Amino acid sequence: MMKHLVKGMIVSTVLATIAAGHALADDPVRGGTLITVLGSNPRTLNGAVQSGIVTGYPTAQLFASPLRYDEDWTPQPYLAESWDVSDDGLTVTLNLVKNAVFHDGQPVTSADIAFSVEVIKANHPFKTMFAPVETVETPDEHTAVLKLSRPHPALMLAMSGQLMSILPRHIYGDGPIEAVKTHPRNNENVVGSGPFKLVEFKNGEHVILERFDDFFIEGRPYLDKIVMRIIPDIAARTIAYENGELHMGAFESNPQMVNRLKKVDGLEVTPEGYGAIGPLDWLAMNTQRGPLKDVRVRKAIAYAVDKNFIQKALMQGTAADSRTGIHPDSPFYFREVEIYDVDLEKANSLLDEAGFPMQDGKRFDLTIDFGWPGVKPQVEYVRAALKKIGIAVEVRASADFPTWAKRMGEMDFDMSWDTVFNWGDPVIGVHRTYVSDNVGKGVWSNTQGYANSRVDEILALAAVESDAEKRKALYQEFQTIIADELPVYHTNTLPYHTIYSGKVGNPPLGIWGTSTPIDMTYLKD
Amino acid sequence: MSNEVMTTVRARSPLAEAWDMFVRNHAAVAALIVLFLITIGAVAGPYLYPTDPFDMVWSPFSPPGEHGFLLGTDYLGRDLLAMIINGARVSLLIGLAAAMVSIFIGVTIGAVAGFYRGWVEEVLMRTTEFFQVLPTLLFSMVLVALFGASLAMITFAIGVVSWTAVARITRAEFLRIRELEFVIASRASGAGNAKLMFTVILPNAMPPIIVQSALMVGTAILFEAGLSFLGLTDPNVVSWGQIIGSNRQYILDASYTVTFPGLAIFITVLCISLIGDGLNDALNPKLRQR
Repeated sequence: MMKHLVKGMIVSTVLATIAAGHALADDPVRGGTLITVLGSNPRTLNGAVQSGIVTGYPTAQLFASPLRYDEDWTPQPYLAESWDVSDDGLTVTLNLVKNAVFHDGQPVTSADIAFSVEVIKANHPFKTMFAPVETVETPDEHTAVLKLSRPHPALMLAMSGQLMSILPRHIYGDGPIEAVKTHPRNNENVVGSGPFKLVEFKNGEHVILERFDDFFIEGRPYLDKIVMRIIPDIAARTIAYENGELHMGAFESNPQMVNRLKKVDGLEVTPEGYGAIGPLDWLAMNTQRGPLKDVRVRKAIAYAVDKNFIQKALMQGTAADSRTGIHPDSPFYFREVEIYDVDLEKANSLLDEAGFPMQDGKRFDLTIDFGWPGVKPQVEYVRAALKKIGIAVEVRASADFPTWAKRMGEMDFDMSWDTVFNWGDPVIGVHRTYVSDNVGKGVWSNTQGYANSRVDEILALAAVESDAEKRKALYQEFQTIIADELPVYHTNTLPYHTIYSGKVGNPPLGIWGTSTPIDMTYLKD
Repeated sequence: MSNEVMTTVRARSPLAEAWDMFVRNHAAVAALIVLFLITIGAVAGPYLYPTDPFDMVWSPFSPPGEHGFLLGTDYLGRDLLAMIINGARVSLLIGLAAAMVSIFIGVTIGAVAGFYRGWVEEVLMRTTEFFQVLPTLLFSMVLVALFGASLAMITFAIGVVSWTAVARITRAEFLRIRELEFVIASRASGAGNAKLMFTVILPNAMPPIIVQSALMVGTAILFEAGLSFLGLTDPNVVSWGQIIGSNRQYILDASYTVTFPGLAIFITVLCISLIGDGLNDALNPKLRQR
């Protein structure tokens, strides 16, 4: 028996080698096991009830979504072979592919789309994604019609990547909608219609997926298996990449790791592919507390904090400049806003003007918080930089991430270092930081207490504007105001990098990182 | 002490005798000199070398000896020498204060347990054992995490997890001494419990406690370094452990940023251990006949 098995393996390897020999360099090859990595343990594999990049990678493989995006931000057919948005923007019709089936063999129907929208509305933390969707009509098995209360251009991106996992109603619909959040099959026996199905999820160790043979796109996926090892320690991951134990990993932002791996032969390291994730680093300032209420004080701080130092020295050249709340890779990014090149004289005169004269080398005290050890250098830098203009900054350490998150959520801080994601459309990830009706609603809400009625107005208009150019103009005005009023000082993008070995063909470098199906990725032999 | 000197007119003072014994241990004397220099550096250093340890004075990662920075600069371009000088103060202070906290707790509990015996001893010693089996680093991490990483809290957290050895030694000494004739004599001449405990027994129980305490200062410095290394530290003060902790991710690019504070900890703790060893020689009566 064993002998036959071994023989079989040899034969298939030989065949694969021959097949590969014939293939052109760029021709995808079937087969192989891709070893990849997750930086922490996913709380769930079901992206319909949970956000986050660690959930995003497995969920996008297990569950298909209606759309996918290419690297130029153009929507592409996926579960929906075509779609149509009515002229008034209030009706979005999805025409589903006919041959899509779930991993248990049941067909994917419009009823599953309707069910999934309900689940996401009830359980997903990003409430703005589907808030305007009032009902989903299902005129036939392969047509789903989303009825909106107002035009919602963000819907397109919200139907892609990890944001809209289509769940089988016959599996997850066995209880109340809210109960899907803790459904036992979110972590085991997961059933989706994505290119890979779950073999095993072992907490803290690995997630193993294998090819779904009845995937609705003919000939895909190319890989037979994906192993996602869970390695939280940065040094351990670095060594694993170096030793060739990992074929690929995404969302790596540690500058030391990135710069070290760039020098390793046979490894590719690229910051491409995170436009829709849109991770931004910034200095948050509580606009409702003490001296920071005064915009002149906030500007003085911006003039004293040297972005260039943060990007070049602290991030060691791995991070790009960012100037507004929208990620530079987004089509809505507007870079011609007010910038604050270091100017201590200007900073000092702004503070004098604001009524904080220098007395014995000091003007006033502020505190600064940080939520995780990786950004402690930034916080220490701000402290040193602001001392030069007479602001004595005390660094407050938080015992753990929840402590910091609570302080932020309750707006119990003066300044803090923060990292926030755009999550595709600005409506999903950008508005939350600046609209006044989202003040103090937990971490990553409008924790700065920023309120500007014009900004509220612009963002409300941009949320429903279907015309791309007009929308762009609205976001342009928004970004100009934000850069002038500085509820947060935007310093840099968080430098997410994808690391992959030369053996990996077609790594996911679109806009969603690995939070997208990797059915086109293959292993060169 | 002066009382004792008066009563032992003809014999040499026990203090002088102990000093003689100590001086015979050359390593301990050398360690004492080095530690003295370190202490001078910690106290006077910030005035002699007034660079603010938090000021960014040069570009990051300037190697030692270049551009006028003897030990180089760290990842923010701060002067490493200034950081180590200022860090000495905090590290030594925490070491001393934490040792004092644990001695206070340990001696009190050990003395009461050893003196009263019976159920008091049972309760106190079981409590001591409870603290003894707790993983000390974890327990102090929990304390610091719960109540915030201020210097006082860190000192308290270190002290509160390391008093058990002192308590046990004190109790053992009390158990032994309380049965000796001079104690019985004092009791017979009407000395109260408090007087017996603190003026009759305790002074005679001191030698092993002093040795243990000296060693504890070293342990406390290491402990603080460990906590700082894990990030449980007051970010507004510099300590040696904190320098290592915050520079450790740059260890491959600039190893000197962790080497120098590491050396400082190593030398200091070694000195304290050697001094403790010397004190042991000096105060242990069994060795005097040697």
